Amino acid sequence: MRVLVIDPDPARAALVAEGLLGIDPLEVRQAALFDEREVAAFAPDVVVIAADSPDRDTLESLREVTHGNSRPVVMFVDRSEPGLAEQAVRAGVAAYIVDGLAPARVRPILDVAMSRFALTQQLRGDLAKAKADLESRKIVERAKGLLMKERGLDEDGAYRLLRKLAMDKGRPIGAVAADLMAFAGILRGDAS
Amino acid sequence: MSGLADLRLGFIPLTDCAPLVVAKALGFFAEEGLEVSLSREASWATIRDKVTVGALDGAHMLAPMALASTFGAADDAAAMIAPMALNLNGSAITVSTALAEALRQIDPEGMAQRPVTARPLARLLEQRRARGEPLLTFAVVFPYSMHAYEVRYWMAQAGIDPDRDIKLVVTPPPRMVEQLRSGGIDGFCVGAPWNAVALQEGLGEVLIKASEFWPGSPDKVFGVKAQWAATHPDELRAALRAIIRASAWADDPAHRQTLVELLTLPEHIGASAEAIAWALGDEIVFHDGAAGLPRREHALWFLSQMARWGQVEAEQDLGRVADLVYRPDLFEAAAISLGPVIEPTGAFSDAAKAPSMVLFDGLEFTPEAAGPYAAGFPITRLRA
Repeated sequence: MRVLVIDPDPARAALVAEGLLGIDPLEVRQAALFDEREVAAFAPDVVVIAADSPDRDTLESLREVTHGNSRPVVMFVDRSEPGLAEQAVRAGVAAYIVDGLAPARVRPILDVAMSRFALTQQLRGDLAKAKADLESRKIVERAKGLLMKERGLDEDGAYRLLRKLAMDKGRPIGAVAADLMAFAGILRGDAS
Repeated sequence: MSGLADLRLGFIPLTDCAPLVVAKALGFFAEEGLEVSLSREASWATIRDKVTVGALDGAHMLAPMALASTFGAADDAAAMIAPMALNLNGSAITVSTALAEALRQIDPEGMAQRPVTARPLARLLEQRRARGEPLLTFAVVFPYSMHAYEVRYWMAQAGIDPDRDIKLVVTPPPRMVEQLRSGGIDGFCVGAPWNAVALQEGLGEVLIKASEFWPGSPDKVFGVKAQWAATHPDELRAALRAIIRASAWADDPAHRQTLVELLTLPEHIGASAEAIAWALGDEIVFHDGAAGLPRREHALWFLSQMARWGQVEAEQDLGRVADLVYRPDLFEAAAISLGPVIEPTGAFSDAAKAPSMVLFDGLEFTPEAAGPYAAGFPITRLRA
């Protein structure tokens, strides 16, 4: 297990390491500041960061841009503000710990954070796939319409032609339909 | 006892937090019967979260952040409003001295022009691509910010795709300069005073300032939760009155010295007086020309860029969102109630000349056609 602790004070990293004792292999690394190159090189399973660190914006933006490459983030805060934990979790923090950290709590917290993160990633992936499927269905419908109009085919015939094209080229039917629509646009002069 | 609730307001260490700092330090809040505590926050995400849950009643905010809160919010409880703008202009695009030198070599005429366009950068990127060199990295402060849209627009105008031809990352404002020094980034767009700090330390060169990119361009707002505004109208109006007075005070050249000293304090910004003074005067405007008025056309420009870069779906009703979030009515009511305390020409839209809608490339933004404007750029991430 690889854990990156972003905190200018090495005490927190020591505490995290103590709480994870017994896990093998274990590597806990401490950094005063977030550095994307370092994180990419180290590839931690989980990032532990203090809530009052300015690096939060960077971590949050990484989650927005590089879905595939993001890590579960556990955040610590010394003073409690009602509701803030829920909000931070809604904004993408996997776990939020108030009032310091006892070594005995480290392991369960990190475990929960990592499994919750995995679940969120999966949901995101499912959602993206559902959207893409819908998009592909829409474009296939439009390509069918075009073929029906231009080639005088009925709906079934248009679909069979698309499917044949897809099989001939070995590409998904949605991609073939998208190509067809793009070429139709060029022939109409859209991209002139 | 005024009967008004105490307020907690958040800010980020930037020159444009001045209206809040001044209103507190000079007792303008107190004169309105408000007991205000200011809280310096470390990140924009924390500001957003704290305002959302009520740990802060209001804050210094990136205008697009307030607009974004209305999209994608799980419930109305997170929706924010911007009843006042805190400043115009103030940000700039700065590159490392090494990058500036390379740009000057490849395109000396382009670098001699004012404002500098991204043409020299486009030529350099082409050369680097041909030589197989890695992408350059630029930093902005938040995905939803004037800074992000400024860099993206400026680059795309010269044919650079900011999502493909460079690497665009997020770095908090106080970290920008050290990132430039360490070589972690090659350039950035950030608010004052951090461009001036890079200049002073000999680490960077400013290519274009916000006032050149778009004269009188919008930037930060005072943001509160819509729900809080509805349940605390008296506190909100009192706060706006104090901040309007503070903005007028901060614009007055006679107060420049005191303002700089105030902002220099470590609990506020903690940069050098020279760096803070650099963007005051002919760059940042807090009050004059109705700078505090949250203008619908400014909201629409931000929304057009959010649509252009795929942050929101293009078919959204942009005008509706602008009207939900930007609330010039609240600003005007507070400004009117101040009466003769401040010079009224500074506060009202009809007393000031209409703001410029022409950006540095000569292209005019037409607020009534924000959607088609967003769709009209060759480099775009528009989502249908």
